Amino acid sequence: MTTTQGRTTPWQRRRRVGYAFIAPVFLFLCAVVVVPLLHALWTSLHRVRGLNATFVGLQNYARVLADDAFWHSLAVSLEFTGLCVALHMILGLALALLLHELRFARTALRIAFLTPWMLAPAVGATIWLWLLEPQFGVVNYLLQAAGLLSAPLAWLGTPGLAFASVVTVDVWRGMPFVMLLMLAGLQTIPREQYEAAAMDGALAWQRFRHVTLPNLRYLLVVSSTLDIINTIRHYDIIGVMTAGGPAGATEVLPVLLYNTAFRGNRFGEAAAIGVLLLLIVLAFSIFHIRLTKPEQGGAAA
Amino acid sequence: MQAFAHLAAAFVLSAALSGVLSPAAAQQPVVLQWQTANLTESQYEPVWKATIAEFEAANPGVRIEPVLVARKDHWTKFVAAAQAKKAPCIVTVDLTTAAYNGYLLPLDKYFNAEPADFRAAWSPDMLSASKWKGQLYGLPIWGGTYAEIYNGDLVAKAGLDPARPPRNWAEYLAWSNKLTRNDQWATAVLGGKTDTTTRVLLMWIWSNGGEAFNADMTEATFAKNPRSLEAIKFYLGLVKEGVAAPAPTTTNYLEQTNLFAQQKIATMRNAYWSIAKVTADNPALKGKIFVTPGPANVPNAPTLATVAASSIAAGCPNPEAAWKFIKFDASRKWSIERAKVANWMPARNDLADDPAVRADPLLAQFVQIGNHARSYPLPSPIWAEIAANDIVDAVQKALLAPERTEEIFRELDTRLTRKLRDV
Amino acid sequence: MSRRAQPADALRWAATLGALAIVVFPLYWMLNTSLKPATEIFLSPPTFASRNWSLDAYATVLNQRPVGRYFLNSLVVALGTTVLSVTLAAFAAYGFTRFFPRGATPFIVFLLFTKMLPETLLIVPYFQLMSDLGLLDTYAALILAYSSFALPFSVWMLIGFFRSIPRDIDEAAMIDGASYLQAFVRVILPLARPGLVAVALFTFLIAWNSYVWALVLTTDSSMYVLSVGIANMVGEYRVQWNELMAAAVIAALPVMVLYSLLERHLVDAITSGAVKG
Repeated sequence: MTTTQGRTTPWQRRRRVGYAFIAPVFLFLCAVVVVPLLHALWTSLHRVRGLNATFVGLQNYARVLADDAFWHSLAVSLEFTGLCVALHMILGLALALLLHELRFARTALRIAFLTPWMLAPAVGATIWLWLLEPQFGVVNYLLQAAGLLSAPLAWLGTPGLAFASVVTVDVWRGMPFVMLLMLAGLQTIPREQYEAAAMDGALAWQRFRHVTLPNLRYLLVVSSTLDIINTIRHYDIIGVMTAGGPAGATEVLPVLLYNTAFRGNRFGEAAAIGVLLLLIVLAFSIFHIRLTKPEQGGAAA
Repeated sequence: MQAFAHLAAAFVLSAALSGVLSPAAAQQPVVLQWQTANLTESQYEPVWKATIAEFEAANPGVRIEPVLVARKDHWTKFVAAAQAKKAPCIVTVDLTTAAYNGYLLPLDKYFNAEPADFRAAWSPDMLSASKWKGQLYGLPIWGGTYAEIYNGDLVAKAGLDPARPPRNWAEYLAWSNKLTRNDQWATAVLGGKTDTTTRVLLMWIWSNGGEAFNADMTEATFAKNPRSLEAIKFYLGLVKEGVAAPAPTTTNYLEQTNLFAQQKIATMRNAYWSIAKVTADNPALKGKIFVTPGPANVPNAPTLATVAASSIAAGCPNPEAAWKFIKFDASRKWSIERAKVANWMPARNDLADDPAVRADPLLAQFVQIGNHARSYPLPSPIWAEIAANDIVDAVQKALLAPERTEEIFRELDTRLTRKLRDV
Repeated sequence: MSRRAQPADALRWAATLGALAIVVFPLYWMLNTSLKPATEIFLSPPTFASRNWSLDAYATVLNQRPVGRYFLNSLVVALGTTVLSVTLAAFAAYGFTRFFPRGATPFIVFLLFTKMLPETLLIVPYFQLMSDLGLLDTYAALILAYSSFALPFSVWMLIGFFRSIPRDIDEAAMIDGASYLQAFVRVILPLARPGLVAVALFTFLIAWNSYVWALVLTTDSSMYVLSVGIANMVGEYRVQWNELMAAAVIAALPVMVLYSLLERHLVDAITSGAVKG
């Protein structure tokens, strides 16, 4: 028997049961996320010196916004996030397209490609630190052996190269998961659409442009927006590899926040940076929610 | 946070979990946590383990619980705990910063109650490095005197006489040119993002009669003092001269000692403990190393000696027991043990004539060089940040754009002076 | 799909294997370094496969530190987090898709919001919270902390997944006399298994790989998890690359095995729950 029209279902009569199902998560998140957040907001309005805090209103925000370091950091963050996310999507999709049409060994390859994503970011970054070591690292050795370099490069030693290096590591780690999502997406595209396109005489590129891409549009939007949220908050890789250097070239906002709080001991200002970062991420998220209409379901990380 | 604690405590789940899963609380009457940045250094581990074992045997009512933490996370971990008034009782941290923030307990009461010969083991200069606003916040335990450390083999190979090492900059540069050859450099300039970069820079400034700050630490004079600026230009200029290893902006203690151990550089500015490290990495260097004071253009230029003091965290429930352990750790026996095994230099100055010290020529030489040293860190509550962030940033910028060195350090002076006055 | 000519196929394989070589090379280098004796680490040119490969570095790592204990701690914490957050998430997702099909939006906005917080900002408040609760140095502290990071994503993903299960199915079960809970446990959960496995995998990974929280919330070294134990091997003064890499392999292996075994479910879950717009 199915729901009869015009009659209230047992579900609608028992909202209270519904509350019982969702209450644990709701309370849990309130406790472990919202309360610390309020603490952070409170901190951002105080000048904190050790265990003493003095209310200073919006002074921390004013200081942060007046400091070039913040704006520089914001620019670095946006560049880093934009570049990383774009590369995650492009390379992830390209890899998925390659793998999708392989006739055998697909599962094995998929797992092999996913391995960088399984490592803790800090561990992955540590491996790269060793690969990129200027004197003893294997990357310089291979490039020199291949005749592509005449002298070893200090990969993390100059602003441009250091930025490129941390982007590379982030792409290396983040791209495989996008590949997995895209592979899942490709599987849901009905074959008939390709067959119809083929009958119309569409070339490979046209099939991609007119069949694949429109079908993956939703998935690309969801995953790139979530990826932006995750990447702009990310600390580990840069924290391990450059700690923001050289000369601030890789000092993204989470690194500036960390340095302000735990090197500078200026918790008030750090909290203000955190709240500003939160607002930026929030803006992206509102954009994301608008795009994806989450009440219809769907998720990606 | 209290109100919230009650709300959260309502989670039956968390209570149940902690009941089932947490280990049984220790039964010992007094447990003292001990956190320093160097307990994870492998060369030091055998010493501190023995220290704890002997202390616990002598004091059955007290248990010492070492808190192992990687150096880069040491301060973060301490602050997170200190903010909740749960910091480990015995800590070695950036003393002035911690004292300024109220994380430490003044120790004058305990120190002054000790017998005179105990107190006399520390020079007034050494003690003043552990004071903030006139109060003593830590007992200096160990430190590191910096010197110029040479690879004797490479020096001999370059046809230079180890008995006549360079004493001033001109001689140093002449040596450096001879010590540089294909895929090998005379030395390494430190520009990596830790305060070791700042330590070496300060020594070069002092070696030219310059000063980085005015006497009461309210003004920075890196560029304002012409002798300082000259020193900065000379030292960082070693890279441009081609006598220092490439990639200085990522060269820290670790990279520098790796280069030295692998014989890629012939000399390094470092403390005694680096010798334990490089000879462990490359045992062939044992007995080949000699040390001298850093080259200086002025007579009696001081070197730099880091001071690591043990402090008691504010709110420690058992300060007496903690003081007892600190005293034990600072005793003659363990001071010498640390020096011999881990190459951590004793902070007390009554050990120079100890037979164990005199039997080790390198150690004795470091002790002698250390007779004329300035204590580090510098006395400012924001020193840790200045030393690891602002100054390092300026060094990195100057290494990347040498022609802008003066401008960069002028900006640094302005920035630091503002920060110092802001405290 | 239309048949492809042989040259295109060869090209596809060449591109795939080329990409694979680049992506997997760092992992190979981690393994290679971990197998080298200390004297060979700084050799120039470096060795790509050495006759001197041995498990010495692993032996040193396992002897030097109680890695077995760290491993156990990581396992308890990761499994505890997985069980706690998958259970809570399944309840919530069921509640939303069955009882408040239209009321989910504000909640999802709230979930997203909790995902946006910069972790660094929360270190001090978290410590204070756990300290107030007397949970420092317990598994519970870590399980609660990690669950809070895993939950938003878990709930979100499961909502998508539960929606794909027609409501008629559990309604039918209830007409047959099952209670809400029985319908949920006996009928819906088995149907949702691929989604639950996928969410469990994600959660396990988050908990296994987390570092900062474990760093501040545990001080007793017998409570350290692997990520903290490994970080402690990196002295500023001495890094033994072979030992460090051996420790990294030890930490990475369980996750890789787990994923290799269960990867199928991950793809299924994403395909059925997450992809549709």
